[in-house]
Amino acid sequence: MGESPRQIVVLAAAFALMVALPAIASAMARPDFVTLGSQIAIMAIAVASLDLLMGRTGLPSFGHAAWLGLGGYTVGILAFHQADLPWFVTQAWFAWPMAILVPAALAAGIGALCLRTSGISFIMITLAFAQMFFFLFIALKAYGGDDGLSMRRRNALPGIAPRDDVAFYYVCLAALVLVLFLLRRIAASRFGAVLDGIRQNERRMMAIGLSPYPYKLAAFVMSAAIAGLAGALHVNLFRFASPDLLHWTMSGELMVMVVLGGLGSLWGAVFGAAAMVLLHSLLAQWTEHWQIVLGPILVAVVLLARRGLWGALGGPKGGQ
Amino acid sequence: MSALLEVRGLCKRFGGLVATDALDLDVRAGEIHALIGPNGAGKTTAIAQIAGEQRPDAGTIRLAGQDITTLPVSARVRAGMTRSFQITQVLMQATALANVALVEQVRQGHSFRFWRDAGRDTGLAGPALAVLERVGLAPRAPVVAADLSHGERRQLELAMALATHPRLLLLDEPMAGLGSIECAAMTVLLQSLKGEVAILLVEHDMDAVFALADRITVLQNGAAIASGSPAAIRADAAVRDAYLGTP
Amino acid sequence: MTLLLEQLLNGLQFGVMLFLMAAGLTLVFGIMGLINLAHGSLYMIGAYASAWATQQTGSFLVGLGAGLAAAAVLGMALEAAILRRLYARDHLDQVLATFGVILFSNEAVAMIFGRQPLMAGPPPWLSGSVEIVPGVPYPVYRLAIIATGLAVAGGLYLLIAHTRIGMLVRAGATHRELVGALGVRIGLLFTAVFGLGALLAGLAGALTGPLLAVQVGMGERILITTFVVIVIGGLGSVRGALAGALLVGMVDTLSRAYLPTTLRAVLPASDADALGAGLSSMAIFILMAVVLLWRPRGLFPAHG
Repeated sequence: MGESPRQIVVLAAAFALMVALPAIASAMARPDFVTLGSQIAIMAIAVASLDLLMGRTGLPSFGHAAWLGLGGYTVGILAFHQADLPWFVTQAWFAWPMAILVPAALAAGIGALCLRTSGISFIMITLAFAQMFFFLFIALKAYGGDDGLSMRRRNALPGIAPRDDVAFYYVCLAALVLVLFLLRRIAASRFGAVLDGIRQNERRMMAIGLSPYPYKLAAFVMSAAIAGLAGALHVNLFRFASPDLLHWTMSGELMVMVVLGGLGSLWGAVFGAAAMVLLHSLLAQWTEHWQIVLGPILVAVVLLARRGLWGALGGPKGGQ
Repeated sequence: MSALLEVRGLCKRFGGLVATDALDLDVRAGEIHALIGPNGAGKTTAIAQIAGEQRPDAGTIRLAGQDITTLPVSARVRAGMTRSFQITQVLMQATALANVALVEQVRQGHSFRFWRDAGRDTGLAGPALAVLERVGLAPRAPVVAADLSHGERRQLELAMALATHPRLLLLDEPMAGLGSIECAAMTVLLQSLKGEVAILLVEHDMDAVFALADRITVLQNGAAIASGSPAAIRADAAVRDAYLGTP
Repeated sequence: MTLLLEQLLNGLQFGVMLFLMAAGLTLVFGIMGLINLAHGSLYMIGAYASAWATQQTGSFLVGLGAGLAAAAVLGMALEAAILRRLYARDHLDQVLATFGVILFSNEAVAMIFGRQPLMAGPPPWLSGSVEIVPGVPYPVYRLAIIATGLAVAGGLYLLIAHTRIGMLVRAGATHRELVGALGVRIGLLFTAVFGLGALLAGLAGALTGPLLAVQVGMGERILITTFVVIVIGGLGSVRGALAGALLVGMVDTLSRAYLPTTLRAVLPASDADALGAGLSSMAIFILMAVVLLWRPRGLFPAHG
């Protein structure tokens, strides 16, 4: 993939930092660092999934939060009904794959529709579908509606106590590493080459005999599936699912994180997610009106920082 | 004996403007057939319809007897007809080799593979390199397309079209922007394809046209005003009128 | 029957308001190629300025003027400071940058006015009801909104179809470079078009304020609905904006009016209401999906 030496060093350092985080947190008596770390890892998974769609295939979706929310609510709703369902619905090995399958299945249908449009219509129709799901969950009073849905315990993982935050953090980190590894292989594969071709010049791809539609749809479904996993982890982290997870501003922030990290860069997803989560928490401590700072920062990033954090690390020509 | 490409009665209007006026055109297997005409004659629109990017208002297009009039671009390529673009449409961020390898990959049809590294696939790189050698671009294979010269990008454009193993090539001004040496090289290259691949060539460079073409069709205001051997076209009065003194 | 007539008029009123929003948004997209998410913020600014000025001066008309002025001035300032730099950028950049503008303006308004909604009813000389058909009273204010909206629609039509500026707008919507080549000061045209769009948004906000709660976040709600309208109608097409607005206005209003009561037949009251509200919110998106399936470029796409 052509990372520059500087990028590799930073990546290694970041990974070391993330592995050592719980130790650092306990040394500084700041257990909230571990929660922050989990948030970053989870967001990075969601951002990486959107990057597959936006950065790799060139499809800007403004509705990605829907898959996050659907994955999260799948886990939450299964837990809600556990008394009436088989014992394994709160086991991670069942609940998390379900949180992946449900968004994937819906994305297959919705993607089939959305991909009939392109450009700004695509952006808007993905937004519209996400809004649909947002209103749906608000309307379902049985699952908390506006107030959200609590989960009494995290999904059971073998050998891990449900309230062990450090262990859960390492699970999230492992999931992130796995997702990044998979996405990297996909990007380098024949399928990834086609996606990249579609992004660079769809007209050319058709002119060499390729129908882009099935590949775009596959990318759409894959990115939804991975986002579903992030949603499941998110709801497990906070033991709470709320419609806010599907709000369009969440979709917007995911897009911001992708661009912040560097469109198409995959590793940048981690940096984009980290930057946003840290910014959120820092600013929120400072003022209740932190969004007034986030807004101009966003505008500045778009107008000035074209290649994102990862690209800036790469030097003049940048790695990929 | 029917032709490889048969265009009959092709019509296209844009509002009040008639771009293509009941055009009939034949391309025989293995021949080079040039389509010429003054600016605004409708060559680009005709090519766009034959290639599949525009839908004609009326008329049919047959490739080897099969009606392809309503087929999308990608299906026409799979049927054996590939076009190259006047403004090169190569993938700028990929190397020359990667560009052609991608074409080979699409031709082989196995693109839903998610695991193996496509960049190291000799099953793709081998044939791709062969095509690059054919057009004379092999030494520049590892160079990113954005760093190639304009002439080299034209060669790459042709290589990508050839890599689809077409029966018929639609070449849209392949000499555009080339210097005289590069033009000569391209002409020699196209000559070498004669007999292997049928070519429908749209060109302004008359030296190349008369050196290459087995037959020439002249377009004016969307209609064919003359069609025949280069010698016949040279002598045709209507053609001379249309071009006002071009040899 | 009387309920139906009332709801149809409500739908018309909502549709007319949506048209005011959609016309500006679609023109800006068609002519400058700009996706402006902050359009909803201009609506909010119009509503706030108007409500505040009305409270301060006691006059609705002064408030209306204040709303229009605030939206137009702030809109053009926004265009000059930020949006101008986005015309050449791709749509993703525009979406992100204007998203940032929304975050900023929402917080700014919250800091100035607080998060509690401002409630202000219609002015005394427009309140009360009138019998449009014997036995069917309908609020005068809503009739006034319908009338104003239709008048503006008519005015826009005259402007676009029968004036030189309108010709430039129509030409610019399909052939941007051509208009520049005609020697028209493109920058000036863009600012004027944007100003007009901002004015319309501010008008919509100022007029609707007395009907709804004026609060932070009102802009986003109507923005998304407005985008649904212009996608249904066809991007860049004012005619499409009108058709889409009326369609969306009707579908949304009628589903909200009848869905909950229909559901009460099978569900307990509070569940039916919540589900009905949710499904009605979804209705316009389902409408958009159906339209796009049938006509991927919208009902009346602008050519080019």
